[in-house]
Amino acid sequence: MKHALPVEELARDERFVRVELFTRAIDPRTVPDDRQRAGPRIKITPDRPDAPDAARVLMHGIFMGELQALEGAGRTCWDFETGSGPQEAPFELKLNMARQCWDEARHCEISVKLGEWMGTEIGEFAEATFLYEAACNPDPVLRLTGVNRALEGLAIDVFNTMREFARAAGDPVLEFCEDWMLADEVTHVKMGSDWLRKLTEDDPERRQRALEFQRVVDKLFSLGGFRGEDDDSPIRLARRFRELAGFADEEIDEIAGLSREARDEFLQHRAALAEDARERTGTDG
Amino acid sequence: MPVRVTPETFSMVNYDSAVIAATVEKLIADVGLPTDTPVSLEVDERVPLGKAEIRSVDPIELFVEGGAIEDAKRPREFSSEAALDVVGRLLMEVRDRLDPAFGAPPLDEEITVPVRTAWEIYAVGRLSRRGHRGQRQRRLYAFRTRHGFTDVADAAFESLWSGDGLCFADVVRISESTRQMLR
Repeated sequence: MKHALPVEELARDERFVRVELFTRAIDPRTVPDDRQRAGPRIKITPDRPDAPDAARVLMHGIFMGELQALEGAGRTCWDFETGSGPQEAPFELKLNMARQCWDEARHCEISVKLGEWMGTEIGEFAEATFLYEAACNPDPVLRLTGVNRALEGLAIDVFNTMREFARAAGDPVLEFCEDWMLADEVTHVKMGSDWLRKLTEDDPERRQRALEFQRVVDKLFSLGGFRGEDDDSPIRLARRFRELAGFADEEIDEIAGLSREARDEFLQHRAALAEDARERTGTDG
Repeated sequence: MPVRVTPETFSMVNYDSAVIAATVEKLIADVGLPTDTPVSLEVDERVPLGKAEIRSVDPIELFVEGGAIEDAKRPREFSSEAALDVVGRLLMEVRDRLDPAFGAPPLDEEITVPVRTAWEIYAVGRLSRRGHRGQRQRRLYAFRTRHGFTDVADAAFESLWSGDGLCFADVVRISESTRQMLR
């Protein structure tokens, strides 16, 4: 079996269509200012006219993330020789990743059932493969910071937000599922935090590289300010759960700062694209 | 041609106004409006969101943001399925509004989100019986989100989904009586 399987070779049937980040980044269309507020979309609450569909889209994205998290954790068990060298993974780390595979497989099954509950077909929306791509880093510690700490950390924020949506809407199934998956995600993030400290205990340079990779992933996937600490942020940064997952206060502050930066850059980028499109098409706004 | 789509040429998305017009023409017949009914549809291609609304009933003027008729898997590509869903629902609402027996409020009168959702269920239910995609479970989820996750709400949904000959007052009564159970 191949080591370091490229993203293009992930097994998918004809229901799934992938959209690269680049395709989205060059999209010149814009969201009007009055609907932009904290980012590309306002917070999902039951009184928002499109809330049920927005929740379906988000949960389908979570399903794709669970699938790739399963694939990523499985690859980490296989891609590295067992050992304590820089290109190796200790047996106990692989054991943690195997446990994570078990959790992610369960999350996939929960997500499929949730899709049926919410009226979503598997593959109804495009697949973004960023989670698996972060799981392809040749250094296992960077995989753990990119996937377990950054992206599974994002999953904590999303699950917590969706659990709040479910409570407000009175959806007992969604609330229950989110609560259980949230508990697992906290464990996954904690694994990332623990292994980062353990494997880089005597290697500050490697720790720095790993944290820098996490910052890049965190900023990239603050999704243009989609996640933040403002009341109307679509995804709220879940401080308490992040503390439980081994994040220090200053690390959580940093993620909040990165989200604000990402939001500002997103708005500037979109404004520039819109200006460019106006110049090309001769329209005025 | 009774259907007019603006703009005629799209530059930000890969949409074809003739294809969109043909989709709308098919829908005019499917919802039961006279086939020569003039309809104009404005598409704001600059916005990737999904807003869709009736701007005027006489003459019929509809508006959608580009995202409302976009392929959910392929950014900036047109989806005839999405267009049939969204414009079909709008035209069914137009049909209701043109029917004095239905008793719809004036177009500029605000309708609450739960009542709006109930009306949409009634519209899409009728469309699904005419051979269009209904996505029943998706609609049921939207209804439950506004009316509660209860057997009472599910029964109310069923009366809208399979209903025929309802008037606006019926839709409001079904929605409000179901929501009263939540209090």
